[in-house]
Amino acid sequence: MSKLKTLKEVVAEIPDGAHIALGGFAITRCPVAFVFEMIRQKKKDLTVSQIVAGMETDLLVGAGLVKKLEYSGGSLDRFGRLERINDKIDKGLLDIREYSGMSMSMRFLAGSLGVPFIPTKALLGTEMLKNLIAKNDPEVKVCESPFDGDKYVYLKALRPDYSVIHAQYADEKGNVIIEGPYWDAETAKSAKKLIVTVEQVVSTKFIKKFPEKVIVPSVYTYAVVEVPYGAYPTAVYKFYDYDREMLENYAKVNKSEEEFNKFLDEYVFGTKDFTEFIEKVGGVDRVNKIKADPSYGY
Amino acid sequence: MVAKYTTNELMAVTASRLLKDGENVVVGLGLPQIAALLAKSTHAPRLNIIYEIGVINPEAEEMGVGIADPRLWNESECFTSFVGTLGSILQKGLIDVGFLGGLQVDKYGNINSTSIKTEKGYRHINGSGGAADIATFSKRLMIIMKHEKRKIIEKVDFLTSVGYLNGRNSRSEAGLPMCQDIKIITNLCVFGFDEEERSLKLLSVHPGITLEEVVENTGVEFKIPEMVKYTEEPTEKEVDLLRNSIDPLKMYIK
Repeated sequence: MSKLKTLKEVVAEIPDGAHIALGGFAITRCPVAFVFEMIRQKKKDLTVSQIVAGMETDLLVGAGLVKKLEYSGGSLDRFGRLERINDKIDKGLLDIREYSGMSMSMRFLAGSLGVPFIPTKALLGTEMLKNLIAKNDPEVKVCESPFDGDKYVYLKALRPDYSVIHAQYADEKGNVIIEGPYWDAETAKSAKKLIVTVEQVVSTKFIKKFPEKVIVPSVYTYAVVEVPYGAYPTAVYKFYDYDREMLENYAKVNKSEEEFNKFLDEYVFGTKDFTEFIEKVGGVDRVNKIKADPSYGY
Repeated sequence: MVAKYTTNELMAVTASRLLKDGENVVVGLGLPQIAALLAKSTHAPRLNIIYEIGVINPEAEEMGVGIADPRLWNESECFTSFVGTLGSILQKGLIDVGFLGGLQVDKYGNINSTSIKTEKGYRHINGSGGAADIATFSKRLMIIMKHEKRKIIEKVDFLTSVGYLNGRNSRSEAGLPMCQDIKIITNLCVFGFDEEERSLKLLSVHPGITLEEVVENTGVEFKIPEMVKYTEEPTEKEVDLLRNSIDPLKMYIK
């Protein structure tokens, strides 16, 4: 059975209060189109988890959809900071759980393995650990190893209701090809339902030519949504580079709530879907300028 | 022969000389990456350079805006995941040297990259990313940062990454793996740590900088050896490599 869905229908079925894990990383392969549609459909009270947050997370938090955020920090790389997230943290408007990159990825790994927790020495001695333990429903515990008595942090597995990643290719069965590093593989595999937005839907015949590139096999996948340029203005290796001008602009507007809201009004609420958004910023001419050179992938 | 050089070039060269051939290093963007590439093109051709995002030994033709920039992934030897780098390489104990920057560092080498205390309360900046893990599991740590009185201080506003924690044996008592060495390379000097107390100690002052300048620009007391050494200067070959092959667009070498 085909797992192909439209962005509108897949977002429509996500309930308020859902736990969503996001797969982007700063300015690369961020599921921006998905997040735009979540904002358009005015979802609320979400829990979001992510290893290193990126532009899509800042948008979702800035638009007020998120109640709880579990992450290891994030940025727009040299373009700037995730100021909508920072602002909500500073004002105490988010239930914030800060981890390190590895402890977050191990929580996803535990979720993907179907085990309830995973031990590590990451976080020991840090202020993140102190703050996490101080929460009234702690997701971490410091325990002795049953084998050598040594001290470890036991991390609770993450089992998001939905994980959402943006990848280069998938077939209608949900076999996902990721080109380049795949920091989001465990995030994808930990979910109860995995939604993959892709640049291009390909045939299973194509998938079978490159089985070594299938980072997420179809058994994990709930829905495949074809959204060309779905990570724009962030980069998709071998498809397009990030749009420098757009990211510089975003790193300016996210410093103020008012400017950020104007950005949402113009680009998210002011367009009916992602195709219209791409048209609005310049369409084919604009995206052609950032098309990847096949010998480099950017 | 000693070359004319800039401060950033001196910092990159100093860091690169602390790397040995065959070692595995985790780096971030900027001077750490430049230092690792310089070591690789001089005395350490078999250095393995690992980026936490899941990229091993790339050969970038252009510097990027961060490790998420595909420019940095050019001609890699391996693509993997976060678990593949920070988990089964770093946590397994295979990283010799971790490079870190930060907003603040304290007298025990603890680093803050999360938030800063201001008059209006805390101001969140970035968070850990892989930094805390790199500090926990690398055998040696190299911290590269700008030397300012408000950045090298008694106690960090937020302890993101553990150095020697509260000095002496406190790091291992807290359950962390051993850290053999921590060095801080600034634009004024190189700091190490006293072997007993594990507190900040001056190792060398950059040529042209006085001890007084270092003291004035440091927000915490530190040990000063009887004979203060100067940091060794770059060679012409090193400066030439930095300018003409490693960072020709001068993105990080200014």
